[in-house]
Amino acid sequence: MAPAVASFTENVISVRDLTFSYPGTAVPILRKVNLEVRRGEFIALLGSNGAGKTTLAKHFNGLHCPTSGQVLLHGRPTTELGLRELAKIVGYCYQNPDHQIFSSSVENEVKFGPRNLGLTGEALASRVSEALAVVGMTEFAASNPFVLGRGRRQLLAVASILAMDPELLVVDEPTTGLDLSGAQQIMRVLGRWHEEGRTMVVITHDMDLVVEYTTRCVVMADGQIIDDGPTQEVLRHNDTMRAAGLEEPAVVTISDRLSRFGSARCKSIADVVADVGAHMEAEHAGRL
Amino acid sequence: MPVGYSIYRETGSNIHRIDPRTKLAWLLTFFVLSLCSNNPAVLAVVFLAELALARIARLKFRDLQAYLFLSLWLTILSTVIWPAYIHQGAYLGRVWFVDVTSDGLLYGVAMGLRITIMIVAAAEWMLTTSPQWLTAGLLKLGLPYRAGLALSTAIRFVPFLNAERLTITEAQRARCAAVGSGGPVRRVVNSAPVLVPLFSRAFLTAQSLSIALDARGLSSGGQRSSLINLRLSKADKAALAAAVLIVAAAIAFRVLGYGVLVKGEF
Repeated sequence: MAPAVASFTENVISVRDLTFSYPGTAVPILRKVNLEVRRGEFIALLGSNGAGKTTLAKHFNGLHCPTSGQVLLHGRPTTELGLRELAKIVGYCYQNPDHQIFSSSVENEVKFGPRNLGLTGEALASRVSEALAVVGMTEFAASNPFVLGRGRRQLLAVASILAMDPELLVVDEPTTGLDLSGAQQIMRVLGRWHEEGRTMVVITHDMDLVVEYTTRCVVMADGQIIDDGPTQEVLRHNDTMRAAGLEEPAVVTISDRLSRFGSARCKSIADVVADVGAHMEAEHAGRL
Repeated sequence: MPVGYSIYRETGSNIHRIDPRTKLAWLLTFFVLSLCSNNPAVLAVVFLAELALARIARLKFRDLQAYLFLSLWLTILSTVIWPAYIHQGAYLGRVWFVDVTSDGLLYGVAMGLRITIMIVAAAEWMLTTSPQWLTAGLLKLGLPYRAGLALSTAIRFVPFLNAERLTITEAQRARCAAVGSGGPVRRVVNSAPVLVPLFSRAFLTAQSLSIALDARGLSSGGQRSSLINLRLSKADKAALAAAVLIVAAAIAFRVLGYGVLVKGEF
């Protein structure tokens, strides 16, 4: 897995005193938000519906402009960067793949982003085939995306952003509407991409996937960041978790109980199963 | 981006409390008034009356802003085009290949105002009448229930689809799509990444809605009751009588040739 938060040094995104209200509304959605996203991190943006997670993330690639404060990409305000420059640094994958899919084939859908960035010919073709390979959809290149299942359409949406080769990828609730295997598949894709040294920000309510994949959690409530730190620590801060309307993941609860018997902290259901199995075997052997 | 799920604005004004049938009658009255004159001065008075009604309805400028801007563009367009067709009145000069006359210009302004009056009247009607009241009013006028339901649903769909359009546009902008840029042909080509998902979403939503309506027994038959029981008040009756009088007067004036700037033109 990726290293701990402390070892990341270079800021990709710096959010400074960001306040944002939608035009014509008086109530700010974001209030004086400060955040640093460092290269190589895998961040989970957590919070209940309406906490401001998506609104904050949409500032990262200039889809929203701050009402006050600043969002800096490598030290440059997003308001001074063009669409192409922003898209090269930050890729944003929407929650619902049906909000972006429009092409008659999977291949053309994936081509759309990199072609807008100016890629043509061999470079474009190789970018598309690489992205399809990452999400395991090479064999569907000629398929009509509208006849694919929800899980594959979600992977296609991710592939179409990966093909733009952004430095940082924001994925908004990638597992919504997917069954467990579909959710695991998409998180594995994102995990692999992160392990190649990319930066990830994922907005999700799936706490079990958060504990398994992410290195850092940023918890939001009422347009403010109320907790920020390494995943394994933040998920044990009961007061902030409650304030954000979140529940401690089952993996963390079981892992903490197991740690009383000398086990190391588990990061996934698989770890927990293995640990429980080991305990049962040891107990069984003791009885014999 | 948060987008309301109805154009309707609740301000609690007296205009809001008027029976939807009366408001529909007044909508038609404004249409007739705009069609009965091609004199910009007369049409300007009608337009000012509409703005006064908006004020009484406690609508804000931003509620009408989009409709007013659209009207302004259409008025400018009309003012540019009509002088090429209307040549009576004082000669003002030649612009490119068009001999511009005072009546040509004024007629262009009048046609712009005519469209403006219709757009603003329809906007005020929608802004002050909730979809439920609108449907109730049309049902009272004899519209079949299914058609009324389809109409009110379609009205509710407009802001929903607008919200979808904004989300889709954002999603495509995140992929560096040049939505809304370039010349007219380029714009049409560039709009495909927005229009295809938008239509796809609209069809899927319509299909889901129809299944949900069936599941709740829409086709089960029987006499339907309604939460809204409309009854014309004395004020409504007076307003309806006034509308009838105004329409009759407007038609009479038109027949007699009053309020007409360019005779022989509609």
